[in-house]
Amino acid sequence: MNPLFRSPYLSLLFWLLSLSLCFGGATFLATAQEGPSMGPSYQQQAIAISKELRCPMATNQTLFESQAPIAHELKGQIFSLLEQGYKRDEILDFMVQRYGEKIRYQPEFKPATLALWLGPIVLLIVGLGLGLALIKRRP
Amino acid sequence: MINMTPEIGHILLIMSTVLALFSALFHLVGISKHHLYLINWGSSFFNALFFTLLSALLSLIYCFVVDDFSVAYVANHSNSQLALGYKIAAVWGSHEGSMLFWVLAIALWGAIINWRQAGKLVGLDSADMRTDKAYFARLLAILALVILGFNLFLLFTSNPFARLLPNIPIEGRDLNPILQDIGLILHPPMLFLGYVGLTVCFAAALASLLGGALLHRHLEYLRPWVLLAWIFLTGGNAFGSWWAYNELGWGGWWFWDPVENASFIPWLVATALVHSLVLTRKTQGFALTTLFLCILAFSLSLLGSFLVRSGIVQSVHAFAADPTRGMSILCLLVLFVGAALLIFAIKAPALKREVSHNLLSKETLLLLGAIVLVVAAFSVLLGTFYPLLYELLGLGTLSVGAPYFNTMFVPLTFIAVILMGIAPLIAWKASTRKPLKVLALPSVAIVIIAALMTYQTQTDGALFLFLGCTSALFLLCSLGMSVCTKSQALTPPKPVKPSASKRAKLAMLVGHLGVAVTIIGATSVSFFEQEALLRMGPGQGKPLADYVLVYESTEPVETSSFRAIQANISIRDAKQDDLVLGYLNPQRQTFNSNGMEVSHAGIDHGFWRDLYVSMGLQLSDTEYLIRISYKPLATWIWLGALLMMLAGAIAAWPIKQPHRVAQTKALNVTNSPRETMSL
Repeated sequence: MNPLFRSPYLSLLFWLLSLSLCFGGATFLATAQEGPSMGPSYQQQAIAISKELRCPMATNQTLFESQAPIAHELKGQIFSLLEQGYKRDEILDFMVQRYGEKIRYQPEFKPATLALWLGPIVLLIVGLGLGLALIKRRP
Repeated sequence: MINMTPEIGHILLIMSTVLALFSALFHLVGISKHHLYLINWGSSFFNALFFTLLSALLSLIYCFVVDDFSVAYVANHSNSQLALGYKIAAVWGSHEGSMLFWVLAIALWGAIINWRQAGKLVGLDSADMRTDKAYFARLLAILALVILGFNLFLLFTSNPFARLLPNIPIEGRDLNPILQDIGLILHPPMLFLGYVGLTVCFAAALASLLGGALLHRHLEYLRPWVLLAWIFLTGGNAFGSWWAYNELGWGGWWFWDPVENASFIPWLVATALVHSLVLTRKTQGFALTTLFLCILAFSLSLLGSFLVRSGIVQSVHAFAADPTRGMSILCLLVLFVGAALLIFAIKAPALKREVSHNLLSKETLLLLGAIVLVVAAFSVLLGTFYPLLYELLGLGTLSVGAPYFNTMFVPLTFIAVILMGIAPLIAWKASTRKPLKVLALPSVAIVIIAALMTYQTQTDGALFLFLGCTSALFLLCSLGMSVCTKSQALTPPKPVKPSASKRAKLAMLVGHLGVAVTIIGATSVSFFEQEALLRMGPGQGKPLADYVLVYESTEPVETSSFRAIQANISIRDAKQDDLVLGYLNPQRQTFNSNGMEVSHAGIDHGFWRDLYVSMGLQLSDTEYLIRISYKPLATWIWLGALLMMLAGAIAAWPIKQPHRVAQTKALNVTNSPRETMSL
């Protein structure tokens, strides 16, 4: 038998589990009673999208932060696109088509950005591997 | 009457450059010729170097105070209307002056080491004293060389004393309005002191390497310098972020802007260095890792300066940029780092030392933690430089911003937190799984609680929220458990005094608590912020969280440096409308000197929440675009940073050591005979 199941902490786990299930269940019910969730409003969605885009005029600010006139215009446009039923990704694509790849703060995953996206993961694996090798080498 | 001070300052700067060269030469020749007399001359030159640089900075301050606009730097960054405090702070408000300040701080730190070295040599036998004398001489020589490089850079590309002759401006262009804040007085000096601390660590690492032996004593000397550098860097980053939150933009506290990253990357490496130094002190292993991290941290701080001052990246925190400066800093960088890495490559193989370690031990976790921090630093570096590389390779343009950095940084923090949680519970050297078992069951509960919280919140980026909750809870849980467990007595070779060991544990607990508090604050602000963007005019209100914000009136404000319109917005309780809890006064300021328009937020700080209001464009005669935001636990972000700084101070506070005989053992026995021969 796995030593884990003989642990005196097993009972503690059950207590915590059931407690958290009660807690979670209760809050879930509490929110469920208020009626179906509406999801974030158009304004909140528009704010979220404007935080992912770079203002074409300001030095290095999101559309959301920028006070340049073009930023206000684009924020309005995002809002109206949302109202017309466009989804987040479609709006981002639309902006990239109009203003170029630079407007997007989260670069697309493509061959040219491979090093950017995979770099940290490769670094982590190599780093941890080296660290472990350094220690294992010394029995 | 003509003000001669700039010329005097200029001459002092030239003198300090020559003194730096002399100090380095006398030290180096003294070491190689085994000549104590020359070394003492080198030390005296170093002290003189400090005083000339101090006088140079004072003459620059004097030029600011008397409004000598014939000096280009003063004319560009000051104004006769500016308050005296800002006139002085303006000295380090831009490139030239801040470089001078930086160099002076290196000289100050070096001079302090110089003055205190006599005290450190007390009680050593004569051979050890010679070794240490040579060590300090090498350290000061390297610092003098760094100062020499920076001074030449100052004199040839960014002379703060350059005159605007013969057409002297009648009035100065003002200090950038955004900089006219208490933040300017505190933030840059702290950051520069942090960088200077890293410079000293760099010099100390090279001094150790060149000596050909890694003495435990020398690592003890290194420890307070590393900790001080780390405290200053933590403070510099935290104050910078606090300043940006209060003064800049629209309520963000970290923008992942290149200039922020430039100071954050060295902080990450310095944090790794602090932990690696603990590892080296306790186990006597991994000394080369520690020295390498010293070199790396300094190199990255220099790379950061290059990034900030060359203007090759676009930043909100625009620094007066000039491509020729960029080139010069790059040359300095290549020179210093290249030389350091060369020395490391030549000297390190001889210093390798095999120490046995168990895979499951505190050593492993500390090492892996340091590695994760370095990986995080390089990931941020990659993201910061990628747009540049992309453009250089002709692939077009792109932006790398907050969404990318969060995607990389949050999971890396999570991994670091797992290691941080386990490490304090596991003993040095010993390999037992018991602490893991103890931790396993609470962690299951924590994961479930975090999952439920995430599920219930239903936001975008649920994974990040989950990771944030899990890390904070896990860290707190593990800290609680390590308070309860007795700190494990260390096995020899190095017996540590019980008080020192307790102090180290306290520092660890406070520091890690700080990290947990910052994670809680950051997670909470990122996912539970409630905000609204709306048009508001007098008489209009907006309910938000437990409050109602009512726009009462618009008022004009006039000060000596700006005119502003100010909204007076009352905070009322949502349940009782007539109960006014306070007022918020966001402003739109227009500066008299240059007509620049700046938005100044109104913030009501609280322990549990911040209320944030900023004022945007005027939309009609009476209405403005107003952004209101409820930020739960926002102050915790900086509270955590303060705890981290406190932890550093606890660790760095000197312990009185009556006997140092036990410490004179060499880490590397094989090389020490040569070392004692070197003088």
